[in-house]
Amino acid sequence: MTDPAHSPPEGKALLQTRGVRVRYGGVEAVAGASITMQSPQVVGLIGPNGAGKSSLLAAIGGQAPIASGTVLLDGRDITRMAPHRRARHGLLRTFQSASVFDGLTVFENLVVAGAGHRGASLRTALLGAGRRALEDEASSRASALLDEFDLWPIADHYGRELSGGQRRLVEIARCLMRSPRLLLLDEPMVGVAPHLVARIGEHCRRICSAGIGVLIVEHSMDVVRSICDRVLVMANGRVIDDGEFDAVIVSGAVKEAYLA
Amino acid sequence: MSYYLSTVAVYFGVDLMAAWALNMQFGWAGVPNFAFIIFQAAGAYTAAAVSLGPDTGANAFQHYILGAQLPFPVPLLVAALAGGVVSAVVGLLTLRRLRRDYQAAVFLLIAVIASDVVAADVNLFNGSNGLAAVPQPLAGLAASLGQAGWQWAYAGFVAVICIGVALLSRRLGGSGWQRALRAARDDEVAASALGLHPPLMRMQVFMIGGVIAGLSGGLLVMFISAWSPGAWQYSETFAVLTGIILGGVSNDWGVLIGTFLVQVLFVEVPSFLPQIGYPGLIDALVWVLIGVMWLLVLFFRPSGIWPERRRRVLSRLRARAGAGGR
Repeated sequence: MTDPAHSPPEGKALLQTRGVRVRYGGVEAVAGASITMQSPQVVGLIGPNGAGKSSLLAAIGGQAPIASGTVLLDGRDITRMAPHRRARHGLLRTFQSASVFDGLTVFENLVVAGAGHRGASLRTALLGAGRRALEDEASSRASALLDEFDLWPIADHYGRELSGGQRRLVEIARCLMRSPRLLLLDEPMVGVAPHLVARIGEHCRRICSAGIGVLIVEHSMDVVRSICDRVLVMANGRVIDDGEFDAVIVSGAVKEAYLA
Repeated sequence: MSYYLSTVAVYFGVDLMAAWALNMQFGWAGVPNFAFIIFQAAGAYTAAAVSLGPDTGANAFQHYILGAQLPFPVPLLVAALAGGVVSAVVGLLTLRRLRRDYQAAVFLLIAVIASDVVAADVNLFNGSNGLAAVPQPLAGLAASLGQAGWQWAYAGFVAVICIGVALLSRRLGGSGWQRALRAARDDEVAASALGLHPPLMRMQVFMIGGVIAGLSGGLLVMFISAWSPGAWQYSETFAVLTGIILGGVSNDWGVLIGTFLVQVLFVEVPSFLPQIGYPGLIDALVWVLIGVMWLLVLFFRPSGIWPERRRRVLSRLRARAGAGGR
């Protein structure tokens, strides 16, 4: 498993959002969401369709503009930070529709993430300073992840040749190439065969045990129950409950949110 | 015949480096640069203007800016710089905020507008008549070798620059930068979520392509001695693009083959054919042929004659891992 690049500063939450609001035109998708992840955990984000879960993930990842509120990663304010800079600070994510690079092989999908912005710089490409070392390092990390995720048989396959489940695995493995501090997974089990759902769940637990926080949007209560340390419930753009799965699931507010 | 072959050789070299440049922008980065020809034109005009000297005396019959008489090969460097500067301006306007389909439309409009503006403004580069009497470089060489010898020498010079562009394309094509460009081409949002900076990389490849395009324009105008809006209509970009798509996007050898087929066999060979129908019919048919060829390739072999090769690592890495006792 990949080790995280940085240790969290003492006393600082891994992730904290305070009153985050996201608006799309006149629609307020996230209406003042505040969440905190103190230590690396697997945290489930559940709620009915339209609750604002994916929008909150997009606000944390930098894909959705934040109208107001703040997002802190390891105590650092990243509210106005561009997505690529958030990634360089250890905040990685997957997308609701698996975003594998179709014209790159699986191996390239991993290496392009592992080589990072230094490996992707024009200066390195032209001058060659450290180019070989960067490539070798990224290749060996990719090899280790191909082993771990059992992706060797498809290492030379293009992204467009993969099944839905394979795309999910590649997407998660690709994030790990960047040695994340926090991983945001947006419905990683959608369209995935049952045996791969179990594998992705196992990977989530192993990622967490390596010191990486995981915030996962998921609709399957079985999956949430089996892999999450803690569950956040969203409805109408707000976080309405927070706790262990068994406690949250019997809460009246949650039942009301799902039945509303 | 020797004159003709050396002329075709120069044209091919110029078209090939232009095609490699456009392939970097379109094939690697997915930038639908339908305005490519204006960067070549920028290079051609500036190389001409800084070779001609002031627009007085012998050049009083034409009007242009930048009149200077710089020694060869400085005009080529100025041409490359002009291509880079114009591409930076166009790139800042188009690449940062527009989606790819809108980019294509804007590039097309920019190409048409640029051509119309240059044709209408007589004081810029002599309007629709264009610039003429651009001095051929190394006139002393022409005196000793004769015109045919000079043409072959110039073709050799173009070939050397072409090899330089090929080596640059090869170096960049095997780099992490190019891989990141291809990733951003496939999914920009996912690429930025991995820490890559697609707008910056796209701007870089756009300017590199612009510099090469400007250089190719400079090389061409110093050979043919004249340049006017008729030489750089937006449709010229489609001919370059057809060569890339026919040969194989993102494959330098494929682009070479496609460019040879389109620019030499389709565009040059018909000039050998006897005149049929009304004047200009064969030229028109060449464009019809290029359009039909594009459609046929897209229907029957969308990856081209020599597709982009798959970068296989499985056997290499397994062997290495096996040797290391994995």
